[in-house]
Amino acid sequence: MQKLLDVLASGIHDSKNQLFLAESLVAAYENRHQADLGEVRFAIENAASRLSRSLAAYRLLRDGAQLAIVPVIIADLVDEVALAQRAHLSKQGLRLALDCPVVDAWPLDRDLIADLLNNAIQNACRYARQQIRLSARLDHEILILRVDDDGPGFAQLPPASGIGLLLAERIASLHQHQGRCGQLLLGNDSLLGGAWLELRLPT
Amino acid sequence: MIDYSKRRFLVIDDQAQARDALRAIAQTIGAFSVEFAANYQDAIYRIRNNTPDVILCDYLLGEGRSGQQLLEELRRFNLLPDESVFMMVTGEQSYEQVVSAVELVPDDYIIKPFSPDKLLLRLDRIAQRKAFFGSYYREKRRQNYAQALAILETKKQSEAGRPYRFEILRQQAEVLLASGETTQAEQAYRQILDQHAFPWAKAGIARSLHAQNRQSEARAAIDDVVRDTPHFFDAADLKAKICMAQGEHATAQAVLDEVSRKTPRNYLRKRLLAEAATLNGDSATARTMMADVISNDSMPGAIAPADRLTLARSHLQAGDKLSTEQLLLGLRDSEVQNFTLDDQASYAALLALCVPEKGRARFSGLRPALLDTALSTPARIDVIRAALGLNDPKLADKHAAQLMAGDEAKKIFGNLRALYALHGREVDFRELQKQAALQRIHHEETPPAA
Repeated sequence: MQKLLDVLASGIHDSKNQLFLAESLVAAYENRHQADLGEVRFAIENAASRLSRSLAAYRLLRDGAQLAIVPVIIADLVDEVALAQRAHLSKQGLRLALDCPVVDAWPLDRDLIADLLNNAIQNACRYARQQIRLSARLDHEILILRVDDDGPGFAQLPPASGIGLLLAERIASLHQHQGRCGQLLLGNDSLLGGAWLELRLPT
Repeated sequence: MIDYSKRRFLVIDDQAQARDALRAIAQTIGAFSVEFAANYQDAIYRIRNNTPDVILCDYLLGEGRSGQQLLEELRRFNLLPDESVFMMVTGEQSYEQVVSAVELVPDDYIIKPFSPDKLLLRLDRIAQRKAFFGSYYREKRRQNYAQALAILETKKQSEAGRPYRFEILRQQAEVLLASGETTQAEQAYRQILDQHAFPWAKAGIARSLHAQNRQSEARAAIDDVVRDTPHFFDAADLKAKICMAQGEHATAQAVLDEVSRKTPRNYLRKRLLAEAATLNGDSATARTMMADVISNDSMPGAIAPADRLTLARSHLQAGDKLSTEQLLLGLRDSEVQNFTLDDQASYAALLALCVPEKGRARFSGLRPALLDTALSTPARIDVIRAALGLNDPKLADKHAAQLMAGDEAKKIFGNLRALYALHGREVDFRELQKQAALQRIHHEETPPAA
């Protein structure tokens, strides 16, 4: 099993290196010609994220999976997700609003949580009318990261479970502190009138 | 916003296309001066000669080397000022597991592919953090630890310090450990563990306990870390050191042997393996490791006289007097005269044992100094071995008694006993051991002076 994981990881690693070459060529072209090929770069990064997500799913859905927990400044995390998504949303005519009053750093798996939020915003993007909101707040030692949209909401709750949702639930539950596990919650009574996704991490 | 056109970048990657890609991204964010290093040695050379402001280093460097090993050597040999930025670049998601566990970390890491904007955001944040810690870095560099700790305490209490609270706690613990305040260092690491069970903080506790000579507790702590994070290789090194302090040399050697196979170009680790093998009586492994170190460790100034003496010692232990003699007599007189007293003592002792007609006079010449001076543990053992061989029990017993009364007694007990047994002096050694134990009990019963 570990050998198969190593083979998959190595293949994905090579592919991501190739995608990086492609992105650097695009960036160099943009720089030279003052062009905006942000959507090309977005597609390249999305392809890489999907490869990484597949590998993460394979790794994390097994027993004994471990996270890579580092202290993360929450405002930085929110800014980074916004940087990855905002230009693309804007091309779709959507606005990304941010609300992050959390100043402190918290221990979490930065790359998995960022990917989870990026994926949640991408999903919201398919249904939102005008606006998506990414927020972070603290509530009784629980860090709450939330994505709201103003679309029609989930057709059913809980929604049909795909690999993205399964992985998100697993990532949430692997974040543990003093016997408490993280949770993933979904709902339809968003502040913006549509669906919401909430990641609650104990700290 | 930082003006990156004035910053010197160094891109380290063994793949030409990847270097070009990193340069293209750096140029997009405004970098003008972007140098390349194609391999590990080239990177060390460039960093030593003209420290870059920003290093973008790939995690996989080929030839059994990694960017993490480069970073560790740069930090250990003080080749990288705190003000320089070291950013690890990787397509390997497994690096996240490494960086979340280890004690020596880059300023940040970034996973390929990434946009110029993302790199810019990360570099700007690092610059903000370095500006926040600037006054602390200066005091730490001067080894003005009390002042460095005072600055950290002030920063911890400040509103601006809130995003950096983990980094402040981590730096406090590291400075306390570096300055020998091992009990306080342990407390600082425990405070971090209250927040989250970071492997590096658990290792910090083990390191603090090891320094306090609380070896059983240190061992329990490090065993957990090595079991849970097998990719945290420095933890394996620490476990081996603790095992050696406990006198469990075979376990130490086995731990180092396993991790050394995974890091074939880590020569600090090979030195440690040679030490464990020597203590374990495996002179063949010790010889192989030290010969590899001396032939291949190309870090500038890395091969110290102590390394050559270690190899000579392992030759001698293996019964190969010819190689010992060749090695020792191959050292120039001018070089030997510049040795520290520890190294001179080892040199004279080893020479006296393998070529008595050439070494005895030198050893006798040093004898007054050897009787009066506290030496390092390897030098003491060499002196004891030579003194027993040259029938000088007074000199041998003096150093043996001091070793048995010291913190490393368990570590060297087996070796000392074997040396005394070789000369038919087991009874005398038992007496030395008894005296050391009585002395320790007496010391523990004496209340500290008011």
